[in-house]
Amino acid sequence: MKVACFLVLSVALALIGTPAFAHHGTGVSYDASKPVTFKATVTEFRYANPHPQLYFDVTDEKGNVVHWSGEFYPNPAQLIQGGWGRKRSEAALQYGTKINITLAPSRAGTPVGAILSLQNEKGETIMGVAGGGPGEAPRGGAPAGRGVQP
Amino acid sequence: MKARWIPAVVVVSVGVCVGLLLSVVLMGQGGQRGISAADPKNAGKTYDKHDLAGFWTRNGSPGGYGGGGTCRDCGDRGFGNDVPPFTPLGQKMFDANKPSYGRNLGTPDAAAHPEEHIGRRRAVPPANGTDPYQYCNPMGPSRALIYPDPVEFIVLPDRLYQHFEWGYGLRTIWTDGRKPLMDPDLPRWWGYSAARWDGDTFVVTTTGVDERTWVDHFGYPHSVDMVLEERYQRTAYDVLELNMTITDPKIYTAAWKSQTKKFRRIEKGTIKSVEGWAGLLEDICAPADEVDQFNRRVRDPAGGVIR
Repeated sequence: MKVACFLVLSVALALIGTPAFAHHGTGVSYDASKPVTFKATVTEFRYANPHPQLYFDVTDEKGNVVHWSGEFYPNPAQLIQGGWGRKRSEAALQYGTKINITLAPSRAGTPVGAILSLQNEKGETIMGVAGGGPGEAPRGGAPAGRGVQP
Repeated sequence: MKARWIPAVVVVSVGVCVGLLLSVVLMGQGGQRGISAADPKNAGKTYDKHDLAGFWTRNGSPGGYGGGGTCRDCGDRGFGNDVPPFTPLGQKMFDANKPSYGRNLGTPDAAAHPEEHIGRRRAVPPANGTDPYQYCNPMGPSRALIYPDPVEFIVLPDRLYQHFEWGYGLRTIWTDGRKPLMDPDLPRWWGYSAARWDGDTFVVTTTGVDERTWVDHFGYPHSVDMVLEERYQRTAYDVLELNMTITDPKIYTAAWKSQTKKFRRIEKGTIKSVEGWAGLLEDICAPADEVDQFNRRVRDPAGGVIR
């Protein structure tokens, strides 16, 4: 148990600590040490190079809606390796989908972030980003017989 | 009861320290992790040292699809840390380039690693950077070779094509006996490449590379007079080693030797679409996606820039 805890913690920290490895060096724009978590609603999803993008609305405690955008660290090549092709990803992130999302927020304070974890209302991980890190291939969620998990 | 917690606290504390240390090491090395270049399953397999054809990758994931870090012992994502002193022109060009890779400029993390050349410690948000590839301009030969995406070597009787997944670019290396083209009239994004065998080493000489490309993603410059020499050696069935040297007296006061880079061989059917369609993926940088969408809607706002 102790060993498992040690390994999990080590790997997790190692992954969090590599923000500058994103496909286009965008990691430097975000602060992974100050993650923010929201319940949100998907407004648009784009599965494209260099990184898929997710646009979503967050309603604050006063009822104000803030339009956020987020980029996935994995690029399509990594997502495909994890079994998350375009059709599967788009089906999971249709307009109006309710999500729980954790982001490394923009250092500039704008409503933009790099997606660290993403689940639907059922708690299912979408596009395998939960537990993954910047520049890493996605974890989990690969259909049987497809892709290879890192 | 209190004493029973001590070992757990120690274990977790050590875990945190090792994790942070590992992250720092990985950061400095450019993301080296994942699997090694040589697969023990291939040990003992016979191979022809002059046969370079096939799919090679520096990617650290088993499938080698692309993106992310390099394989563990394959070298990092920079050309090399032993950078010769710049000439005055070289310093000026280096200062003008604003990369977004490496340790963040002006941070305690950057200050804590003086052993790394300053080029690896000056990352700025891409919205404030000058990386030509942020706008889908060609990356140039050395940067393309270093990036951990797969590349297919296609060998014909008179040339070798390197087909890069990253950018889906095609580079021609002539093997028909021609000499390197010195001082070409028109620079090219890929330059002019001619190759020969020196024993079991495949030696490529490239000239005439457009000086708007960077040597690597850390923004090291070169002039149009750069001579890039690549020396490839197939050292195992599944390992191809590459050592490069840049000679560019306009920019560097001495020849710059690269860190040794390794590629690992993957079989034709390894990379495939979700339907099983084998072959390189199409990792094209298309302005319609990159500039019109990603840069405008995500990259620039993330950097506090609204264009």
